[in-house]
Amino acid sequence: MAGKPTSWDLETDVVAVGSGLGAISAAIVARDLGRDVVVLEKAPKLGGVCGYGGGEVFVPNNHKMRELGIEDSDEAGRKYFEFLSAGFADPELMDTLLSNCKDAIEYMEQKAGVRWLAVEGLPDYYFPKVEGAHSGGRYLSVELFDGSTLGAMQDKTWPMTPHIPPGVLHREMYAWGGLARVTEWDYELIGKRISEDQRSFGPGMMAYFIKAAMIDREIPAYLETPVRELVTEDGSVIGVRAEREGRDFFVRARRGVVLAIGGYDHNKELALQYEAMLDWNSACPPYLDGDNIVMGGEIGAAIAAVPPTNLAMFYGYNIPGEEAEGKPLFRASWECGVPHAIRVNRKGERFCDEATYKDYQARLRSWDGQTQQMPNIPPTLIFDQNYRDRYPLGSYMPGQELPKELVETADTPRALAEKLGIDADGLERTLARFNPPAKNGEDPDFGRGSFAWSVRLVGDMSYKNPCVGPLDKPPYYGVRLVPVSVGINSHGLKTDVNGQVVHQRGHAIPGFYAVGNSAALRDLGGGYQSGSSNMRAITWGYIAGRQLAGKG
Amino acid sequence: MAEAEYTTTAKLPIETIWEFVKDVDHWADFVSGYQSHEKENDNDSIWTLKGDVGVLARVLTFRVHVTEWAGPERVSFELVGLNEPMRGDGEFVMKPYRERAGERATDSSRSTPQKSRLLRFLEAMIRVFLGRGGRARRADTADAEPGPGMTQLTFRLRIDPGGPMAPMVNALMKPVMLPAAEYLANKIVSHLEAAQGAKG
Repeated sequence: MAGKPTSWDLETDVVAVGSGLGAISAAIVARDLGRDVVVLEKAPKLGGVCGYGGGEVFVPNNHKMRELGIEDSDEAGRKYFEFLSAGFADPELMDTLLSNCKDAIEYMEQKAGVRWLAVEGLPDYYFPKVEGAHSGGRYLSVELFDGSTLGAMQDKTWPMTPHIPPGVLHREMYAWGGLARVTEWDYELIGKRISEDQRSFGPGMMAYFIKAAMIDREIPAYLETPVRELVTEDGSVIGVRAEREGRDFFVRARRGVVLAIGGYDHNKELALQYEAMLDWNSACPPYLDGDNIVMGGEIGAAIAAVPPTNLAMFYGYNIPGEEAEGKPLFRASWECGVPHAIRVNRKGERFCDEATYKDYQARLRSWDGQTQQMPNIPPTLIFDQNYRDRYPLGSYMPGQELPKELVETADTPRALAEKLGIDADGLERTLARFNPPAKNGEDPDFGRGSFAWSVRLVGDMSYKNPCVGPLDKPPYYGVRLVPVSVGINSHGLKTDVNGQVVHQRGHAIPGFYAVGNSAALRDLGGGYQSGSSNMRAITWGYIAGRQLAGKG
Repeated sequence: MAEAEYTTTAKLPIETIWEFVKDVDHWADFVSGYQSHEKENDNDSIWTLKGDVGVLARVLTFRVHVTEWAGPERVSFELVGLNEPMRGDGEFVMKPYRERAGERATDSSRSTPQKSRLLRFLEAMIRVFLGRGGRARRADTADAEPGPGMTQLTFRLRIDPGGPMAPMVNALMKPVMLPAAEYLANKIVSHLEAAQGAKG
């Protein structure tokens, strides 16, 4: 931790560290309540992980559902979150989250001009299997955002993410056939929107927030200004030591500091320590170095955890030569849940419902105490020519030659298994078992295609079972998969119902707040639902902003 | 179709530029995102580049076939993507300044240093879309009027993506084409002028 400097380079009321949803929400609210705010961002662009992702915000019983006449209730939403938590959530935190999320979302629409859209037809993960789950409407996304209205911030934000074709709305994506039929999307329209800088998904959502903060409210943002230490005095956080243009940059925060810089996705040492996964990789921009843990830890902040087995984490690959922000780009693999593809372990055996990442992510972590191995790691994606004729692999369309460094090919499953170093007998047995029912759209072993969310996201709706089809047309293909995190870690700073960071001795640290993925997910507990991360970032940012302004 | 054209002026005789560009090996150091190339013969070569469209960089492999060696004024080539569905063509065009009462030996519609509407549009696209204001610009002669002993070097490139995503790829490529053309032409001229200066 840094001591008080002899002089400050800048003085303000609130320092927001980071520029994703959590930091910008806190900045907007604190500014609206009359406080001066400064945003410090390590990256050369604003938006954080949220500006790079899918931009879904999961809010039960939200006002956009109601406008569409979709019925829901707060009670049902709570039941669903209680189910997801599996008993690991802090009840007070969950209650605070769910009691404030609708207010936060509506505030951002009314005061900050965020044009929310309810995503119709995208069900909750566990619909219709558990009480409280909904058939569709709890997800919010945004209307297209015109990048030219960002003024000087247009160049300082990501116009698109490498993970999703740009300029597309959810309803269009589904109308065009979903991720499985990406070859049939309207690329004339997409090309036009790219040329016009019409933004969607995460980049679109963050553009609304950044316009509200940096353009409409003229909140100063300092890019390429990483915060290195918290400055404390008598146990209170009173500012930060950042680095700017090669020298120290001390910023005083009269009211406090809100840390919203994500977790440790790109810090392999911390990831190994906290997630207990080897060969950790991330789909996020390469600025998530675990600074929340390091800086918080330095001043005695408690580190808290939720079970790692049920968070959002994927397996995927890097296409050789593909890079983003100067680093290898890792893509989450959705291919395993599409017809004519499976995922197998080193024995050549299926071990999960491949279309439902909540299932495979947990089963991947299984441990065999007799062999001292994680038997399902590394997993391998297997598909056949049926698949290649219809579906892409990452950014490689059907008909396009696949990169040999990534994809093994063989005329028989046995030969493919031998190339991949997995058990050939096992793979043959697996296909002999999988294919006959798959021809009828059935998966008696793992019930693939039984989760409505998976079907909507990755299924090919032209199939009887949109997630199942046999692998019976040579040649056969295999891709070794590696862990790909999406920024949602199991460990983070322990926070209280005000969003304030808790000291190891149990008291709240004056002047220090953490929101978004910098804060441990104790409000969610042992489960996850996509869009929850963005929802909690906005909500806790909203709460922390009010607290920092003295209006909590 | 994504295309770009860039013209710069070199304080060099046309022969100097021709001697350089007539060997594709010489292009390598000045191609944006260059990774490697392999010359199969004087006319055919395989090029590996790292293409960067702002949020995503990707390794592209092309076969380049020179269709015309019309020294010292022109080199024309075609290209075909080997790992991406795209085709294209391009050329270097060299035009000397004739020392006769200010007459230029160039087609005025193409040699003017004024930027074309297309170039201005593409530059604007770069600024508004990707924030790419920077260019491999030469401060001394890039926009200078040609004079005696000088040569105008124009580099043109057209790429036509194929496959279902072609319109999207096209839109992504457009903003990065002009900086690539500028980089190549300016780097070649800077290199040759520096070498000339070292000799002189």
